[in-house]
Amino acid sequence: MMARTNWLGEFLKHSVLLAGAIVVLLPFYLMLSYSLKSPAEIESNTGGFVGSQEIMTDRRCIKAGKPAEECDMRPIVYNYTAAFSEAPLVRYMLNGVFVTVSIFVIQVLVALPCAYALSKLKFWGRDVVFGLVIFCLLIPVHAIALPLYIMLAKVGLTNTYAALIIPWTISVFGIFLMRQFFMTVPDDLIDAARMDGMSEFAIVWRVMLPTAIPALLAFGIFSVVAHWNDYYWPRVVITGNRDLMTPPLGLRMFKSDLDGNEYGPMMAATTVIVLPLVIIFLLAQRRFIEGITMTGMK
Amino acid sequence: MGRSRVHLWFIGPAIILMMGLLILPVFVAAVLSFTDYNLGNPSFNWIGVENYDRLVSRSTYKKMFTASLTYVLLVVPISVALGLGAALLIASLRIGGELYKAVFFLPVMATLLAMAIVWEFALHPIVGVVNDILRSGCDVGWLHALLSGSWLGGDPLQSWYGHACAEDFPLWLGDKNYALGTIAFIGIWQGFGFNMVLYLAGLTSVPRELYQAAHMDGADSAWERFRLVTWPMLGPTNVFVVTISSIRSFQVFDTVEALTRGGPSKSTYVMVYAMFEKGVKQNLLGIGSAITIVFLGFVLILTLIQVYFVNRRVHYA
Repeated sequence: MMARTNWLGEFLKHSVLLAGAIVVLLPFYLMLSYSLKSPAEIESNTGGFVGSQEIMTDRRCIKAGKPAEECDMRPIVYNYTAAFSEAPLVRYMLNGVFVTVSIFVIQVLVALPCAYALSKLKFWGRDVVFGLVIFCLLIPVHAIALPLYIMLAKVGLTNTYAALIIPWTISVFGIFLMRQFFMTVPDDLIDAARMDGMSEFAIVWRVMLPTAIPALLAFGIFSVVAHWNDYYWPRVVITGNRDLMTPPLGLRMFKSDLDGNEYGPMMAATTVIVLPLVIIFLLAQRRFIEGITMTGMK
Repeated sequence: MGRSRVHLWFIGPAIILMMGLLILPVFVAAVLSFTDYNLGNPSFNWIGVENYDRLVSRSTYKKMFTASLTYVLLVVPISVALGLGAALLIASLRIGGELYKAVFFLPVMATLLAMAIVWEFALHPIVGVVNDILRSGCDVGWLHALLSGSWLGGDPLQSWYGHACAEDFPLWLGDKNYALGTIAFIGIWQGFGFNMVLYLAGLTSVPRELYQAAHMDGADSAWERFRLVTWPMLGPTNVFVVTISSIRSFQVFDTVEALTRGGPSKSTYVMVYAMFEKGVKQNLLGIGSAITIVFLGFVLILTLIQVYFVNRRVHYA
């Protein structure tokens, strides 16, 4: 019953997918390529992928009064050093790591016990609380950014790390996901832990947490990707204070600072910011795709 | 500590945060939408439905609704169709499927704001590669004939491509007729891989026996198999994918803020950007809140439509 391999069909499918792949990869290719090439090569679209890497002179360096020989460098070196010297890229990256990790840790601290109570404890009003969680799933946080911003401004928290983190501390989606996961955990496991004299707190963190690792991993990928890439919320609450900027916001400032001809350094900065997630994604592709689809509800 | 109380410690923080960070803001926005409130002013006036009145009567806001709806109507159908098409092709491949899957998913992962900036360079009217590639096609006789339609005997200048070759290619983000389409293109580029992955998951849940049964019944062509088995079985996935894509594309902001700031002549003035511009930049919190409430209304309607379709399916299943 097995059909013969249809080579023509197979060839056509690959052609279509390949054409799509070229369009999808075009900006990634350009980003890397521009980050390597000299301004002249970028503007004239010459030099292939890496450019000729002829020694060029850094005009800014000359202006700063340094000796000419120190200002001669390869375009690749120029682009990446300019990216790091013109913008506090390292600071942005550290801010990004700090904010995304804090958000994830707090989300778990809040959601895990709640999910446990909603799935394994019987108490008055449990269904009401679960109903509230379902209702809150309907509210996209980006849509209520304005009132959140007003509230944070009223208590004087704009332009702080707290402002970047607070609105995301509650993930109703995380509660929902964990609860669904805990429903599949057998009650015997919890009863056995209670028999051993474990407190409810110990059960949450020493019994439930380890069983929830797969769900937490999926949720973690979703949360980290969403908040590392988020631009809207940081743009709303961080106004001007560069020390607090996350990578996308920092990049945006970098863009508006430049006079428009500094494609090379700009693309070098973009590469540095985009690459970490892309590399992790390529290393753990399957987990990422599973994690994002499993949590695709956002 | 008795077991009877311990649940309060578990659900308490979550309830407080849900109330304070999700429910309360909706109320705050609802109340402020009837005022002329702004930050820095201790008091405010109740102005009734004036803000909402402005939303329906002023041309700026008409442009806002038009931009948002057009964007959604461009991005959702195309990114859903491309996602489904890519999933069907990849699922039927003998080799290389995983590779295409990873490539198409890459834009979903990559920081949208950063990639938007790259697209802006690529679409630059003078030095950008997109126009460069298009322009180079003008000098290749057969390609020009093919794309401009002159090989069919038409006047090349009448066609889009032939005309663009003679005059010049569009400014893309700088032209009010092309800007929204260009922003939508970036949205589709970014989002269709996500839909593809959802469809691939949906396809694995279609039982193999159904294809065999269809084969027995004489459905031999790929199209017949798709029409009779795959498409009906993908029903729940379709509802889910369309709803998610709609809600996500309603929230478009990054590309607009970084590339066009709502322009040229408000052609890309989408709702979330309007909310940001009015509320945060211009401190007009009343009108910003009114936009917030209308926006929440749209999201609610989309979700209710989803619930309706999901329930209807359950009834007939």
